[in-house]
Amino acid sequence: MPARNGKQWANVPGKLGSGEYVDSRIYSDHAIFEEEISKIFRKVWMPVCHESELPDPFCFRTTTLAREPIMVVRGGDNVVRAFLNVCPHRGNMIENRPSGSFEEGAPSGAPKHMTCMFHAWQFDMKGNCVHISRATEGYQDRLACSDVGLRRLRCEVKYGGFVWVTLDDGIDQSVEEWAHGAFDCMQKSLDAEPLEVFHYHKAIIPCNYKLWHDTNSEFYHDYLHYHNRITGFNDSYFARKNIGFGNGHINVGSFEVQYDQYEGFESREELSFPYLPTNHWEMIDFFPGVNFNLRGSALRCDIMTPLGPDKVMIEFRGLGLKSDTPEERLTRQRHHNSIWGPFGRNLHEDLLAVSTQQATMSEWAEKRRILHGRHETDADGDPTIHDEEGMRHFYKEWGRRMDRWPGNPEMSYQKGQEKAA
Amino acid sequence: MSDQLVIEDIKNTIYRASLYLDECRWADWLALCHEDFYYAIRAFSPEINYDMTYLDGHRADLVSMTEMLPKHNSDHSPLARHTVVYTVDVNDTQGTASCVSSFAVYQTQLDGINSHVLAGESNIFLVGKYRDIFRIGTGQPLFLQRVVQLDTRRLDKGTHWPI
Ligand code: FES
Ligand SMILES: [Fe+2]
Repeated sequence: MPARNGKQWANVPGKLGSGEYVDSRIYSDHAIFEEEISKIFRKVWMPVCHESELPDPFCFRTTTLAREPIMVVRGGDNVVRAFLNVCPHRGNMIENRPSGSFEEGAPSGAPKHMTCMFHAWQFDMKGNCVHISRATEGYQDRLACSDVGLRRLRCEVKYGGFVWVTLDDGIDQSVEEWAHGAFDCMQKSLDAEPLEVFHYHKAIIPCNYKLWHDTNSEFYHDYLHYHNRITGFNDSYFARKNIGFGNGHINVGSFEVQYDQYEGFESREELSFPYLPTNHWEMIDFFPGVNFNLRGSALRCDIMTPLGPDKVMIEFRGLGLKSDTPEERLTRQRHHNSIWGPFGRNLHEDLLAVSTQQATMSEWAEKRRILHGRHETDADGDPTIHDEEGMRHFYKEWGRRMDRWPGNPEMSYQKGQEKAA
Repeated sequence: MSDQLVIEDIKNTIYRASLYLDECRWADWLALCHEDFYYAIRAFSPEINYDMTYLDGHRADLVSMTEMLPKHNSDHSPLARHTVVYTVDVNDTQGTASCVSSFAVYQTQLDGINSHVLAGESNIFLVGKYRDIFRIGTGQPLFLQRVVQLDTRRLDKGTHWPI
């Protein structure tokens, strides 16, 4: 068909069904974004950091989840706990540094305590308030330490030492139940021995968080990457399956990367993670915005923090084994950096593509259809690597939680399903 | 040659390298580097309390990296740096000199997002220090090592070029 006029452009192209595209407004609308924060990000388990970032008792790490400031601390009993990083007195943020230790105490507080610098209220590592300055003078018997503990959050250390937190006290699933089997492909490798984070950087890019997640969920965009075009397109690559799990998670299964096809890259054979077959690659796209990528010798984890409909912060971590020798660590870092580092071969291409994708979808641009309709199956009928099942699977969960049909967000999810049927 | 002349020569080489990097003249830049040249981009992360290496390699790695740049899809927004050489310490007995320079890299938007609105806009992209070691005493001073020590750890798209 030649270029289309406005009416033709507005029609669903070809014979695509209604679950095979989404409406671009889900990436740009402010009201939808606010709803995502309350209906999704406040209701799920998210990894917020790795336990190696708070290695010793009294270490802490601060972060945010769904705009709430969060503090993760390791107690004197070695237990990792999470709290809102909010003082119960007048709402000051208790700890402002990204990480550190309470071992020595703040200028106005005692060692091994969290102290709010504003009026010097103090808390222990379990979140109990243990000191209110001039308490009886000011509050008499109307308010005591026992009334003003910190707001604790449900927290689990799981899957290779990631610290998972939820803001929803009433969540009816553990992290394992929430994962719904999505970690089976790499759990043995992650849990064989302690891991350590060796790489951290962040990017704040002008795109909706779902566009980044979409990109991580589909491999059709390997055409974007020179590295992947050269190393990846072989029979075992096209045989990779794209598998959906409950709660909107997906896996893209293993294949052997042909590193010798690309100049300047060594095989990852020597330092493969425990139980991971040589040069293999496993990937989990975890609902609603986390990606775990285990490629031979290094684990990558991207955690997304949505900042607005067209703005997302992505934190990139690289992990190796805690037992690495300095030489082994350097090799892992090099393997990690060559593809995934900020100066590596792939990451900048991904960041570029989602930025220019979002640039066509400003809030005031007319809606358009974003196609998720590729079906490329293997002999068993299972979706393979260039099938867009990963995104379709994600948007079913998204639509259900938002009660909006992704192809027409003004329609309820149920109505959309009925129409699709 | 007096130390003062050697120091002037080294400063010139650092500034020439800055111009070559600004202009993406990778081969000219690498011609200022010794055959044993080692290059690294590092940063300390207070988030994970760790000295990180973001990129490192020897001369051959940089040759293959820079030759492959045109094969990649890129944000072509030019990066230009403002470099100031702070100190040059000559070690005559070893035939080397260590130098510390401060740099700020500016990005001028070209094609990275929406060129109609953004092209032509300049922003600070990276700041840090160059920690260089030179081989001296055999004519033109040559870079033996460059460690780019970044302060910046928010690294948005456009970072795939040598800094
Ligand atoms: S706000 Fe924290 S002690 Fe007053
Ligand atoms: Fe990619």
